[in-house]
Amino acid sequence: MYGRSGAELVRELTFDDHQIRRFNHDLFNKVLGEIQEHYYQVSKIMTLLQEENPSGQIMHVDGNYSGALIHHQSLLRNKRCLLSYLYNRAQRIQRLRWQLGAVLPEDVRDLLHPSEKEFLKSYSDILGSYMTTVDLDLTVDATPPKDPYIKIRVLQHIGEVLLGDQTTSLSRNSIHFMKRTEAEPLISQGLVEEFNG
Amino acid sequence: MESGNGSVDRWEDATTATGSGTGLHDWTEGSFDVGSSDVEILKRVWRNEKAAPDILPYEAHLIERVHEQILLMEDNTAEISKTVDDLMLSIYQMDISRTTFLLKAYLRTRLGKIEKFVMHIIRTPELWERLSEQEQGYAQRYVDALSKHMKNCVLDKLETAYCSMVKQAESSEGDDMILEPDLDTYVFCRSKGAVGSFQLDERGYESVDLMLDDLYILRYRPVQGLLAADRIELV
Repeated sequence: MYGRSGAELVRELTFDDHQIRRFNHDLFNKVLGEIQEHYYQVSKIMTLLQEENPSGQIMHVDGNYSGALIHHQSLLRNKRCLLSYLYNRAQRIQRLRWQLGAVLPEDVRDLLHPSEKEFLKSYSDILGSYMTTVDLDLTVDATPPKDPYIKIRVLQHIGEVLLGDQTTSLSRNSIHFMKRTEAEPLISQGLVEEFNG
Repeated sequence: MESGNGSVDRWEDATTATGSGTGLHDWTEGSFDVGSSDVEILKRVWRNEKAAPDILPYEAHLIERVHEQILLMEDNTAEISKTVDDLMLSIYQMDISRTTFLLKAYLRTRLGKIEKFVMHIIRTPELWERLSEQEQGYAQRYVDALSKHMKNCVLDKLETAYCSMVKQAESSEGDDMILEPDLDTYVFCRSKGAVGSFQLDERGYESVDLMLDDLYILRYRPVQGLLAADRIELV
């Protein structure tokens, strides 16, 4: 059935809740291939119609006309599916940039299409230079502050970190009281968690 | 000093504008009007921006003032710590981080809208004018990056009749692939003064009496003008 692969591709986005999955090259290329096939069919029918009727006026709706229309519509549908797939993933990549910073962990990067990596890099540059020109780091202070300081528990051994004007050793499972602005990047990277005990 | 908007004395300006009156009178003089301090205005502007479906004009002067105030207050923290106790200092720092949050949230909300409707904004001069210079740069570069990505993966592999990013096909009427904000969505709005009878549609079938502090859920399109004229606020 025409358009089924495209629908499958888009449906893949709804499986998981905003997590990024491995780029589905096989299905993606299959849909691209279908588009080429549809295009081939459309042009073949169009040439046929031209030969039959050189004036280009469509006199009556026949099998050829309907066929061309169906191929044309299927092509459009597939194109939209591909672009939706890309766009939706691009948005997730953007969100990752906000959460994890400019450099993504290796295992996340492996899931991306080469062009997506390039997009991530450009996006990261764009956001970075915007934040430099307005002189504010927009990726911190994401929630309205209740208290300038929060208690955090360290989830992974981090080692010596410069906090304020002194270094602190953040070893696993230790609990610290630190400035929210300093803790937020660590929280979004999953290295520490807010401790409400 | 009448309100936080003047800048007779920069330091006084900074403290006044944050609107945290109690306790701060030790080093600031004069009264102020809570509703018109820069931070209060920013809070309103941010709420409007969050609730409106399309992008609103950038509040350049306000943002510049608030940003300067934050930097000034941060610089003054050390000095103040000598004269006040820890509790006061922590309240003071709290105040700074709240203001910072507002400022950043405002800019973030705008970037989100710009990303979402970037093609529509770029092709509409009226909306384009509402962006700050930095945001215009951001929008332009964002579109470039996104279209490059789309071209690499899909569009360059399609035939010329179908390879546009803004049109489904060559034969499409107009650009039918651009996302536009839905101006007919409903918004919560509060009137800031007596507007009187206000028409909600062109034919005049529906109208509403807007009095001071009235709260209504209305369609965004007809009340756009009132918002621009600062006669209502969105909540």
